[in-house]
Amino acid sequence: MYNNILPAVYGLNLIEKSMLSIIPEAVIILFAFLVLFLTFFEKLAKSKNPYYLSLIGIGFSILYVLMLSGRDLNGFYGSIVFNSFEVFLFTAILFSGLFAVLVSKDYMKNSNMPNPEYYSLILFGISSMMFLVSSNNLIMIFLNIEFMSITAYILTGYFKGNKRSTEAALKYFILGAFASAFLLFGAVFIYASTGHLNLYEIHTFLKNIAYGGLIKSGGGMGINIYLTAGLLLFLTGFAFKMSLFPFHSWTPDAYDGAPTPVTSFMATGIKLAAFAIFLRVYTLIYNFNIINFNGILWLLAVFSMTFGNIAALLSSNVKRLLAYSSIAQAGFILIGIIGGGFYGYSGTLFYLLAYIFMTAGAFTIVIIFENSDLISLDINKYSGLGYKYPFIAASMSFFLLSLAGIPMTSGFMGKFYVFSSAVKSGYNWLVIIALLNSAIAAYYYIKIIVKMYMPDKEMLNSSAVNSEGAFGIINGAVSDGLIITIIICLFFTLLMGIYPQIFINFANNSAASLWKI
Amino acid sequence: MTFFIRYLLTILIFFPTASVLLLLLINKKNEGLLRNLSTFLALVEFILSLYLFVYFKPDTYKFQFVEKFNWIPSFGASYFLGIDGLSLFLILLTTLLTFISLLSSYKYIKENVKEFVILMLLLETFMIGTFAALDILLFYLFWEFMLIPMYFIIGMWGTGRRVYSAVKFVLYTLSGSLIMLFGFIYIFMMHYNQTGNFTFNLLRLYHTHIPEGLQILLFIALFLGFAVKIPLFPFHTWLPDAHTEAPTAGSVILAGVLLKFGVYGFFRFAIPLLPRASFAVAPYIILLGVIGILYGAFVSIVQKDLKRLVAFSSVSHMGFIILGLFAMSAISISGSIIQLLNHGITTGALFLFVGMLYERMHSRQIKDFGGVAKKAPILTTLFLISVLASVGLPGLNGFIGEFLILIGSFRYFPVYTIVATSGVIFAAVYLLWMFQRVMFHEITNPEIEKFEDMNLREIFTVLPLIILMFFIGFYPIPILDRIDPTVIHFLSMLHHYRNSNSIIKLKTGLSNV
Repeated sequence: MYNNILPAVYGLNLIEKSMLSIIPEAVIILFAFLVLFLTFFEKLAKSKNPYYLSLIGIGFSILYVLMLSGRDLNGFYGSIVFNSFEVFLFTAILFSGLFAVLVSKDYMKNSNMPNPEYYSLILFGISSMMFLVSSNNLIMIFLNIEFMSITAYILTGYFKGNKRSTEAALKYFILGAFASAFLLFGAVFIYASTGHLNLYEIHTFLKNIAYGGLIKSGGGMGINIYLTAGLLLFLTGFAFKMSLFPFHSWTPDAYDGAPTPVTSFMATGIKLAAFAIFLRVYTLIYNFNIINFNGILWLLAVFSMTFGNIAALLSSNVKRLLAYSSIAQAGFILIGIIGGGFYGYSGTLFYLLAYIFMTAGAFTIVIIFENSDLISLDINKYSGLGYKYPFIAASMSFFLLSLAGIPMTSGFMGKFYVFSSAVKSGYNWLVIIALLNSAIAAYYYIKIIVKMYMPDKEMLNSSAVNSEGAFGIINGAVSDGLIITIIICLFFTLLMGIYPQIFINFANNSAASLWKI
Repeated sequence: MTFFIRYLLTILIFFPTASVLLLLLINKKNEGLLRNLSTFLALVEFILSLYLFVYFKPDTYKFQFVEKFNWIPSFGASYFLGIDGLSLFLILLTTLLTFISLLSSYKYIKENVKEFVILMLLLETFMIGTFAALDILLFYLFWEFMLIPMYFIIGMWGTGRRVYSAVKFVLYTLSGSLIMLFGFIYIFMMHYNQTGNFTFNLLRLYHTHIPEGLQILLFIALFLGFAVKIPLFPFHTWLPDAHTEAPTAGSVILAGVLLKFGVYGFFRFAIPLLPRASFAVAPYIILLGVIGILYGAFVSIVQKDLKRLVAFSSVSHMGFIILGLFAMSAISISGSIIQLLNHGITTGALFLFVGMLYERMHSRQIKDFGGVAKKAPILTTLFLISVLASVGLPGLNGFIGEFLILIGSFRYFPVYTIVATSGVIFAAVYLLWMFQRVMFHEITNPEIEKFEDMNLREIFTVLPLIILMFFIGFYPIPILDRIDPTVIHFLSMLHHYRNSNSIIKLKTGLSNV
């Protein structure tokens, strides 16, 4: 009886339910347009209003996510879903966006680039990631990946006259367009072999066929071949966004050339969104063992870790180093997906959340020490910073130790979680390779700490210690947006390292809803 | 008071952290206050730790001062602390040596005093935590983070190739511990597969049934982690560098406490978790230990640098300890534990004396010294006592440990023991020869003429150690009494698992309980 009354009370008919399921994204888009409108008024555009307006937008979105948490919504004929999985990832994405906005204030003021457009692009980027994470339909996935990529291309090349920035954007765009084509082609193949676009329906379809034994025998309809081809192409498209080894080549250039707040945003938000949607597709479609995808992922993970670490070992530019390290980190995160099962997926989500805080924190400090005329930063510039800026250098060390996976930090707990899931599933060699890789990785993270605290005498002359930046640190004080970001990141990195149970529960809830079909 | 005793371990672990928070508030410029306050707080910590000794019940093998709280239920990890005879004395050694090394560095550490005292106290937290943790994840957390303060201490206040040494130290130990982590995760997952429970509780993981072939592989994984820390012969190369370049306080802590973690890890984790493998590989590990004894001794003889000499002598001494531990007889293990404490006391003292010589002469080369005895009689006397303790003169502490080890091991490994005994003779050679060249002879270096004897602070720095040398040398019973139940329980547990338990459990299907 209540079934008839409840919709009347809550007014949840199809359209309204659909609208409800996209409220957090819609709020962000609304604010993105609001920010964009500020460009019409010259005085407002030059003020700090776009910055504050974006913060308010993100705040509202977080509020709506909190209000909707616990609900299980399906919108737009099943192409958008909203459940605990999305709550977890929306929170993470909004944090990533929040950091991107917070650290941009001084950076943009300094760069003389149009202000409101930048913030509205960041907001569009956030909303596209949220859409991507909650999409449940092959077409939606493709559309949102494109939406997300386009904002990322524009943001990468946002320094208009700057050669490096333009080059980075162009490289990113051309390679990204190829990847999107692969993704679309894969989607077409999957649709051709299954006849469905909705992931849940594909899942049901495959399940029925798998029980009928058709997949193994080829099904007589060529399902096997088309599906395999489709899934491989789809994987290629995702691997590009996740910057896994053979598809990583854009990462160092794009990360290096982009404005650093954008780099931070790309390294955290885009990677998170790509991994999250891959996780969903993987659990729903890839798990039928049409061919051994775990074997493919195994190779991708091993190559990404090894390549990323060795390349990072050789680079002397902080942004490139962090870019290579993010390739390696992607390999580590993939271990959780390979490990699989509830434990593994929950571990992957936990690691992703941990990764956001530590990476955003590290990039924030790169921003602090970056001067307007130096788009790239040499590691030697960090010589002796530990003595002049004790708090910032200590935080940087902490983030780097977290990335290296030293205990007491979130990085260790994340690594422990995904490694134990892989051991649980019997991937012992993978874990041993990953652990050896962590040892290599520790070397180049420690290299930066060495520069900060144990400088050579000659290096001190070329160091950034004596040069006062045009922004970031003014008269010895770090500006507020940056310091807030560092404190938030520090807090979560420490908390997730010392008492991770709350976050594990959060991730568990989220992972459990992956199977809620 | 009952509250205090009940949570004594937690208080001991986090008192230094609280001190760090207090010290953070003090201005960097106020160096005198920082030094005095930190030393005072370390002294308070030492006095607090004496309560452990007082309230420790010597008549039981069970873990005491046990505290257990849920920490990460999803992994079955808990905040589980407890100590037995071994960890009791190692914690006491830790608190004592931290106090002493803070006291010793008044003159040595001239810049960045605030950072130094903070890192020392932070290090103390993690060292005590490692000795007290009975939960593997908690243990690993403390174990690995300990590297970081030590790394900064070597890298920031070291001499010469300090950065190289610090990075080498971190990378060696980190690589070892990561492989060790794999072993722990594997055992954790095996236990899960057998019982369906996630748990890191060490006492429960002891009951995991592991087939012998797998045990050996896992033992190798754990071995790499612990052997690097000890350091056992082929893994020792980080040690001379780290010891030589570290500041005095760092060397004292490194030799006195950090090297103990390897042996402690074998005693607490590797051997009881993998008993059958330990019996199988014991002869090979003892072989490495004996090689270490001779190698360390030979290399020490030819060293020109005082600190490097003492560092290599550590390799030699740790070889004895490994011999005693893996001989697996009650006497030899007791001897090993005594020797573990002795090594902390005597080598700590030797490093302090080398540090004092260095502060006065700004050189560690033996050839720069000679004839110091004429100028500094107090220093010579006390240094001689430490040297003789390290050599193993009867009446001093070194003798007790080495004697017990050699007696205990002879029955099981006579050849190795005979070879190892020659290490005692070589110890006499390199230490006494060094002492002779530094202290006696004619004064050749004009700077020796200005050599000052020890001041009151320095005497107080080494006095506790000297007293302990005599005390353990003459009357080791208070220590042996508290160690014995632990050792006997350790052995009975080992033989139990080795012989009957796993077979019975397997046959009755109880291995899954």
